[in-house]
Amino acid sequence: MTLSNVRDLYQQVILEHYKKPRHKGKTDPVHRHQRGHNPSCGDTIELTVQLNDAGDRIEDVKFEGEGCAIAMASADLMAGALRGKEVGEALLMVQRFQSMMKGQDEFPKELRKLNVMAGVAQFPVRIKCANLTWHTLKAALESPNSSNATGFISNEKEA
Amino acid sequence: MTFTKEKTLADQVRADFPILHQEVNGKPLVYLDNAATSQKPLLVLNTLRDYYEQYNSNVHRGVHTLSAKATDAYEGSRDKVAAFVNAASRQEIVFTRNATEAINLVAYSWGTSNLQQGDEIILSVMEHHSNLIPWQLLAQKTGAVLKFVELTDTEEFDLEQFKSLISDKTKLVSTVHVSNTLGCINPVQEIIAIAHKYGAKVLIDACQSVPHMPINVQLMDCDWLVASGHKMCAPTGIGFLYGKLDLLRSMPPFLGGGEMIADVFLDHATYADLPHKFEAGTPAIAEAIALGAAVDYLSNIGMDKIYTYEAQLTGYLFEQLAQIPEIRTYGPLPKVAGLGRAALASFTAGDVHPHDLSTILDQAGVAIRAGHHCTQPLHRYLVAQSTARASLSFYNTRQEIDVFITTLKEAVEFFGSIFG
Repeated sequence: MTLSNVRDLYQQVILEHYKKPRHKGKTDPVHRHQRGHNPSCGDTIELTVQLNDAGDRIEDVKFEGEGCAIAMASADLMAGALRGKEVGEALLMVQRFQSMMKGQDEFPKELRKLNVMAGVAQFPVRIKCANLTWHTLKAALESPNSSNATGFISNEKEA
Repeated sequence: MTFTKEKTLADQVRADFPILHQEVNGKPLVYLDNAATSQKPLLVLNTLRDYYEQYNSNVHRGVHTLSAKATDAYEGSRDKVAAFVNAASRQEIVFTRNATEAINLVAYSWGTSNLQQGDEIILSVMEHHSNLIPWQLLAQKTGAVLKFVELTDTEEFDLEQFKSLISDKTKLVSTVHVSNTLGCINPVQEIIAIAHKYGAKVLIDACQSVPHMPINVQLMDCDWLVASGHKMCAPTGIGFLYGKLDLLRSMPPFLGGGEMIADVFLDHATYADLPHKFEAGTPAIAEAIALGAAVDYLSNIGMDKIYTYEAQLTGYLFEQLAQIPEIRTYGPLPKVAGLGRAALASFTAGDVHPHDLSTILDQAGVAIRAGHHCTQPLHRYLVAQSTARASLSFYNTRQEIDVFITTLKEAVEFFGSIFG
């Protein structure tokens, strides 16, 4: 078997983030909290976000959850990329990531680490795995009182 | 392993399945997702085309020739299904969209008019969502209580625990014949005999057994049995409900509309006799006729022969899986000659997520299922987030199992290297 296509998807960076995530856990304090899941496959993610005093800048993002290499690596990469970003900027990153999953966009130089996920666009059935964490982040940032949210946001309708 | 030169069942039938002869991601397709849906033989495909090209017409209505021909074929298909499961009467076979609709039919028609607050329904933890949610809805509506049979150490239906759950309060037992995840074959005859002693009715979800082994509803003595056509070589959109005649007679209609009536007035109506009382609206005519063709196809091979061949494959599959130390399979192990369980294997591979396994297998042309297979509560019970599942059919070969195993080993090694 040739694993060449598979290696495009499971790049070393992705596997490393999957194996040794740097941002697993819960932020302290928790200013935003959101759970997300892909009902069809059972993958779940729980994001916590710590904001600055003004509430307009991300100080820290952490995640917990269970899922495949793509979903977990995507969450870890995202959490790393979000530190210090303004909330508005983070929401634009969500859009850009989702465009990247359609093969239409990439991140600029300073965020190029996220571009290792671009290969997922070639595996349409796996796009929702990569998108889950971003989808959940969007819900977390858009609901101002989500610090103790209990519901799940579903990623099922994502492209 | 000794390979004889004799032609296997798969060798004899593969030419009948055009879809199998293609490449996926540059590799010959190895279709091991038969528990989700089976492939369709030419006989079934041609039956669909012949219907639309030659006698497409509505059934039970027109006096014209084509309508009569369509009606004959549609009703003829019912005879075939009745004979296939050995129903005592053709009136005991109701065509539905699928097994899910058949279960909902029983839940709404029989359930809402027979169950009361405090009555008990016994299910098992291994039920497919289709044999769980309709009963949850019914319980919410009637105040009936759901009870669940758990698993034995070998991850099979716990008959002893079932005996301790059942009582005079039990009005219904509904369980799967063959688990789509565990692959265990449940002792339905014993379950039914016990339930009947307490006056409880029994519904058997036979989706995973009807396509793979001989089924005899009279011997089984079930009150209802449901199956989906698409898992037994027929098209999607057609399934059936078997019900004992007197029981079906006693049940009020489920859906109202055309086809299911005798006389209609503005303020009331009388209903058609069985089975049409439960077949409101224009049915899936082509699909029902094609289900008849699928039954012909399977019967022509012989369900005994299918079961025996699939058991041999099952034995081989589990033998090969056992050689990969990281693999943990679910449900009972096959007995001698691969018998005693269904031709499917749900498994996990250490820390490797089933989706990641499935993607790698897909790149090698191997189609398996990854996820919770519509048995979320069972996965929770097994403390497995999700599993991978390879499910076989009589057109699968040992060589295909070899491709699957080789790729599975590579996938496990690939991910194993990073977890080291």
